[in-house]
Amino acid sequence: MLKHNIVLFLRNIKRNKSSFLINMIGLSTGIACTLLISLWVMDELGVDKFHEKHNRIYQVIEHLNFSDGVQTMIETFGPMAELLTEEFPEVEFAAEAIPPSWFGKHNLSIEKKSIKAVGQIVGKDYFNIFSYGLLSGNKDDLLNDPNSIVISKELALGLFGTTENIIGQVITYEQDKRFMVSGIFEGTPANSTVQFDFALSSLAYKDVPPWTSLHSWNGSGPKVYVQLKEGADIVALNAKVDKLRKSTNPESIRTAVLVPFADHYLYGTYENGKQIGGRIQYVKLFSIIALIILVIACINFMNLSTARATKRLKEIGVKKAVGATRRIFIAQFLGESLLMAFIALIISLTIVALFLPQFNLIVGKQLSLIFDFNLVLILLSITIFTGLIAGSYPAIYLSGFNAITVLKGKLNQSFGELWTRKGLVIVQFALSIILIASVLVVYMQMQYIQNQNLGYTQDNIVHFNIEGQIKNQKEAFITELKKLPSVQNASSTTHSMVGHNWSVGLDWEGRDQRNIAFQVVGVDYDFIETMNMDIMDGRGFSKEFGADSLGLVFNETAIRTMNVENPIGKIIRGFFGQGTIIGVVEDFHFKSLHDKVEPLFLTMMPQAVKKIMVRIEAGKEEQAIAEIQQLYKTFNPSLPFEYEFLDKDFQELYNSEQRVATLSKYFAGLAILISCLGLFGLVIFSTERRRKEISIRKVLGQEASQITLMLSSEFAKLVLTSAIIAIPIAYMLISNWLSTFSYHISLNLWYFLSAGLIAMLIAMLTVGSQAISAANKNPVGGLREE
Amino acid sequence: MLLHLKNIFKWVNSGGQRVFLLKDINLEVEEGEFISIMGPSGSGKSTLLNLIGMLDGFDEGEYTFLDEPVHTLKEKHRANLYKEYIGFVFQSYHLLDDLTVKENLEMPLLYKKYKGAERKAMVADMLDRFNIVGKKDLFPAQLSGGQQQLVGIARALISSPKLILADEPTGNLNSKQGEEIMELFKQLNNEGVTIIQVTHSEKNAAYGSRIINLLDGRMI
Repeated sequence: MLKHNIVLFLRNIKRNKSSFLINMIGLSTGIACTLLISLWVMDELGVDKFHEKHNRIYQVIEHLNFSDGVQTMIETFGPMAELLTEEFPEVEFAAEAIPPSWFGKHNLSIEKKSIKAVGQIVGKDYFNIFSYGLLSGNKDDLLNDPNSIVISKELALGLFGTTENIIGQVITYEQDKRFMVSGIFEGTPANSTVQFDFALSSLAYKDVPPWTSLHSWNGSGPKVYVQLKEGADIVALNAKVDKLRKSTNPESIRTAVLVPFADHYLYGTYENGKQIGGRIQYVKLFSIIALIILVIACINFMNLSTARATKRLKEIGVKKAVGATRRIFIAQFLGESLLMAFIALIISLTIVALFLPQFNLIVGKQLSLIFDFNLVLILLSITIFTGLIAGSYPAIYLSGFNAITVLKGKLNQSFGELWTRKGLVIVQFALSIILIASVLVVYMQMQYIQNQNLGYTQDNIVHFNIEGQIKNQKEAFITELKKLPSVQNASSTTHSMVGHNWSVGLDWEGRDQRNIAFQVVGVDYDFIETMNMDIMDGRGFSKEFGADSLGLVFNETAIRTMNVENPIGKIIRGFFGQGTIIGVVEDFHFKSLHDKVEPLFLTMMPQAVKKIMVRIEAGKEEQAIAEIQQLYKTFNPSLPFEYEFLDKDFQELYNSEQRVATLSKYFAGLAILISCLGLFGLVIFSTERRRKEISIRKVLGQEASQITLMLSSEFAKLVLTSAIIAIPIAYMLISNWLSTFSYHISLNLWYFLSAGLIAMLIAMLTVGSQAISAANKNPVGGLREE
Repeated sequence: MLLHLKNIFKWVNSGGQRVFLLKDINLEVEEGEFISIMGPSGSGKSTLLNLIGMLDGFDEGEYTFLDEPVHTLKEKHRANLYKEYIGFVFQSYHLLDDLTVKENLEMPLLYKKYKGAERKAMVADMLDRFNIVGKKDLFPAQLSGGQQQLVGIARALISSPKLILADEPTGNLNSKQGEEIMELFKQLNNEGVTIIQVTHSEKNAAYGSRIINLLDGRMI
């Protein structure tokens, strides 16, 4: 029996190759897609969960109650760590940190070898809290000494060529400071949000700004991580933390809250003090997309199976006449579709294996296809689900017919059944149209961002760290730099102009009760000019005025928020002592366009600058880099010259949007492909069903072209209906997404209409070929069958 | 007695009216008979044949097959009954296109409890008996109509039924092929198989031992 069924199955495939192929393409791409997304989703859900005690690790965030709403910062004050450990017995460990995203890349060297590596400054219990796999060193005594450094295995191998006996070895940091290796850790896994190669002790930089913020209640920015004891009540603790916070400064607008550290990756977005999601939305979105694609693929499979089944009615009839029971048919059809699903699974695994490197590039992950229990379970359930769903219709519906009815070919298509099939096609196309429209809008928004005026010109800016001899001879280096033919201007700054920065509070005459956080950008002369920022009032920093070390340049938002009239000449007090407003600069962005411009000021900090910014001649990038490198080498002969372009850094702020854009492009393509396969199946089915009608029409003199039109218009109507359903939904979803940007394009009806048109065009190409071939068939064949 | 139909009625409801397909059919068939059912189109010949073959039901009356009251049997029992005792021959052969001659013959045996070796022997026996050994690996499309019907009859006979039901078995064949098939039926009947055929042709009907004439669902 089994052999007989397999023989029939194989011969059936052989006879209906195209139909089999369509089925396979649809199902296997559907499963492959679902599989890729589930790999991604599993990885996303696992981020930061590799820490042994991730359930007990929290980080301190702060809600700032401004007059116009609550702003949430995923950061706090450095001393918070000590305070928490001292005050609360349920806190097992707490550690402050200047995260790698802020501390950045630095040069480490031993003798002649030097490597640039990403580091962070952390409190002494950091490695007690996080499990980065300590290979050697004493967990409790890693960072007690201000001169200690903990390095990753990779860094150890890079510098020393070994991980053996290097505890106590000396590493030179940025050519001037020496640290002693106190520990080696395995490294940061790919699913860690914190990526670093070495860690320094928070005791190391007690008086170097801005790292002083680790030890002061005067400027926020550091992160504080906490590990609670087992069974600690987080709600009760948070209430106590809040009380404590208030007791130190009753006027503070800040509320400190402990939130689970591992949740931050997926649930990191706050609006008005409330957690409103974050990446979890993408995770949900893609899970839904995966499910939809799988369901669409299953629907196709069902549609095509039913269409094919009409060819197999004779088989059902004859077998029934010789005594086959319904159970036998159910087993046969379910068996066939399960077998098909398993073949599709094997194909899809091949597809996944082939495309995984590409997919990894797009999503920026290192996913791999390792057959662990979970994956096998997922694969089996996807396959069995697909097989059962796809096979159930022919198995249950077709096997129920009476032998005579089937043999006479008098199988009436029920009205409801036809509508179900049409409804499914409408759903498929509506989904495709939504995806296409989304892709269009995402693309337009990305274009808009790239062409948005940031308040300064981000193109043609090269930047690199101040290191080695340049640190001591900065003035000379910059003077030489400006002389290079391809260089227009150069300056230096504490902040790279992209991303996270340090903020402080200020005081001035006439200040109201409100607390305002001001971003601080420390600069040197010519910075404003190098960045092409516009001075709106007053002047920039200039050597012509002697006292500029206490001059401040605010941005427009700051002046507006402070509510000061005639700001020039106003006295401002802050961590720098007493300063004077000398100018107002036009607002500029250094975070992504998701965020509004915040109050900010520029101040002269020639001692604290970290980066050199160079504006080069447009179109002469290679020449400029070569010239700068040559100059760099005369100062730092042994150091590698590592530079970056500012516009590229800026692009990276939109990494996740770019990824969503690219992914949704593929998914939209896939959805339309699979939907078209479904449509193709339906066309075959419909023309088969209407073969007699087409024959009669032809015999009565209707032209083939008219029949083609008639068949095509039936499907055009379906796609049109989909468009009508899809456009309002797409509009809602997309405007929702756009509203997460503070600066975005306005929606245009054309985006949606063109999405509809694209879907219609592709659908018509699919239907047209089949309709033409049906219309041109010899009518005699169609009539004789009866 | 092989089977007995007693006061059989079958109707459908169409537009609020009851349309009778079969009216008060009374029929007794003894083993070894060769019956021809005749009548114009729409007189109910095929309906009667399907009813006897238990592929179709009826609305009123009694049907006894080998002393089993068919009308009271459950679907499964009924299937077992016709599986064992009845073979069908169709006008358009109804061979499965994807199966070879050999496999088509084997197919009905799959639904009965025969072992693989037994099935092989039975198929070989049948191929031999009908002289189609040389064609055992061909597909139906590679055979002539007469040959296809030969396979169709062989398939009906393979599980040694007591009764063969044939619905216009020669309807798609030319006259020479038709004659051959009828001769075959005659020979089978002589070997003891009961045959009921539906036919339009007087000539074919003459092969039978008894003729039943139907008009508008009624025996005349």
